[in-house]
Amino acid sequence: MIAELEGVVKRYDSGDETLTVLEGVDFGVERGEFVTVMGPSGCGKTTMLNVLGLLDEPSEGVVRLDGDDVTGLNDRERTEARKDSVGFVFQYFYLIPSLTAEENVEAPTVFSGGSGGRAAELLEKVGLGDRKDHKPSELSGGQKQRVAIARALVNSPDVILADEPTGNLDKETGDETLGLIRDLCDEGVGVVAVTHDERIKNYSDRDVRLDDGVVV
Amino acid sequence: MARRNLVRNPLRSGLACFGIVIGVVAIASLGILGFTLQAGFMENMGDTANQVEVTPATETDGPGIGSLTQQTFSDREVRDIRRTAPGAEVTPVKQGRVDLEYGDDPPVPRTAYAVENPGALFEAKQGRVPAVLSGGILVGSRVAESIEVNAGSAVTVDNSSYRVVGILKEEPWTAPVNPNFNIVVPETELRDTGYRRVIIEEDSAEAANATAQEIRETMNRREEVVEVQENSDLIERVQSQQRLLSLFLIAVGSISLFVAGVSILNVMLMSTVERREEIGVLRAVGVQRTSVLKILLAEATLLGFVGGAVGVVISILVGGVINHFMLDNALMVFRPGNLRYVGMALGFAVGISLLSGAYPAWKAANERPVEALRG
Repeated sequence: MIAELEGVVKRYDSGDETLTVLEGVDFGVERGEFVTVMGPSGCGKTTMLNVLGLLDEPSEGVVRLDGDDVTGLNDRERTEARKDSVGFVFQYFYLIPSLTAEENVEAPTVFSGGSGGRAAELLEKVGLGDRKDHKPSELSGGQKQRVAIARALVNSPDVILADEPTGNLDKETGDETLGLIRDLCDEGVGVVAVTHDERIKNYSDRDVRLDDGVVV
Repeated sequence: MARRNLVRNPLRSGLACFGIVIGVVAIASLGILGFTLQAGFMENMGDTANQVEVTPATETDGPGIGSLTQQTFSDREVRDIRRTAPGAEVTPVKQGRVDLEYGDDPPVPRTAYAVENPGALFEAKQGRVPAVLSGGILVGSRVAESIEVNAGSAVTVDNSSYRVVGILKEEPWTAPVNPNFNIVVPETELRDTGYRRVIIEEDSAEAANATAQEIRETMNRREEVVEVQENSDLIERVQSQQRLLSLFLIAVGSISLFVAGVSILNVMLMSTVERREEIGVLRAVGVQRTSVLKILLAEATLLGFVGGAVGVVISILVGGVINHFMLDNALMVFRPGNLRYVGMALGFAVGISLLSGAYPAWKAANERPVEALRG
């Protein structure tokens, strides 16, 4: 397993109430595997993804990346692990508006010596070789998402976590994006996509359903 | 990267910078103003701070002006004074009234001084001041203006003919022997007059002060023989007043820099709130907390530095204008004393910016990426 959750519980304390979002989730993704996590809104899909991607800590349970227990790491170590192993693709792309496409792809590496030309290669790979110097405002939604995918790949992650990757795209660009993600899996990257877009099933190897905080 | 982030919102960054500019200009200009006032004062005082004037104690026979008798020093007393101030230049001065006649004008009574070495007390602005005055006289600048004599003119003093060897430079009002309205004649002309005062010139104001004390103690031990006047006390007092004034001016200037600091704080807070998601993404993709902190601090410092640099340029211009009007030399602004204030203002600007940037940077860097991305 490249990324794995075991008995993960996530509770939020809000005042007197305790809200349990994940109630003992067991989940894993293999290298080169494309898994979709489906479920209604508010079932904890995004929380699960955040815990898997070390953005959030579980209240109970164990998180493993490539077999290593990463549950108790401090902020610095978790950041380092994210950088080394995890790539994120968000529904709203979250590109930095003042940077060009290439600079956006390079952004995760600027504090560790730059990407050494990898950013340009990745843009070529996602079909944006001729848009390297464009600002996000000059790109369409699908192009932005492809820039975001290239950014997720710049540190050569083992797993890519995508939160509603097609949520803001029309059908055609959504299909393009999913095709691109499928290609990445075939190159050995594990992908977890949380979504309620049924189409993604057509591209994935496996579907998991999350309901009321448990995988069913 | 820091620069680019600032350029993204040029108006806001510009205004924050402008605040710093004003702060720096306020501190530096007020500092320069204070320093220049001081310099101007010292220039006016000239070297009179180093001088001590000794006069005979006034003896009064009774109340009323008529009872004042004009006192002079005996040769013995002059010797005593010389002994108390070894190493200093001691100049006994004779003083009397003479009639000065030039051209066709009727003779006018003038106060005349006579000293053995005029060079010790006077400087010429026209002609020269000889080591010993024999066949000529020196004329104070105001006298020269009023009767229109030049160096080389022939004049008559009490029926003896003399040549004007030099017109004297204007002396500050604090000078103990002020020749502006008077003339200096050979000692032979005032042969029958005693020494009305003795001028002692030391190397420094402190030495002058010490000598003054020494003379008071040794010569006035039994009875009041001499009166001693010196400027060092006065100068010291004025200088400490001016230092206070400078400090006060700088404090006023500092307030504006503090205000500028608050505006940087505001700008940085707003921009971190705006870029919350962006920072969240950077953190998510593996940018360390410290890197985020560094870049935000760099932004704040850059604001402070750019504002400070512009402020320094303006301050030097303003300082040049101040110096031009007060000291007649705009380039005097480049003296170390002034540059110290400029450097201080710049350092203060960068420091304040860094300080103001610290809280927003810390806040942004420590936000959990999950929270930031949730919107």
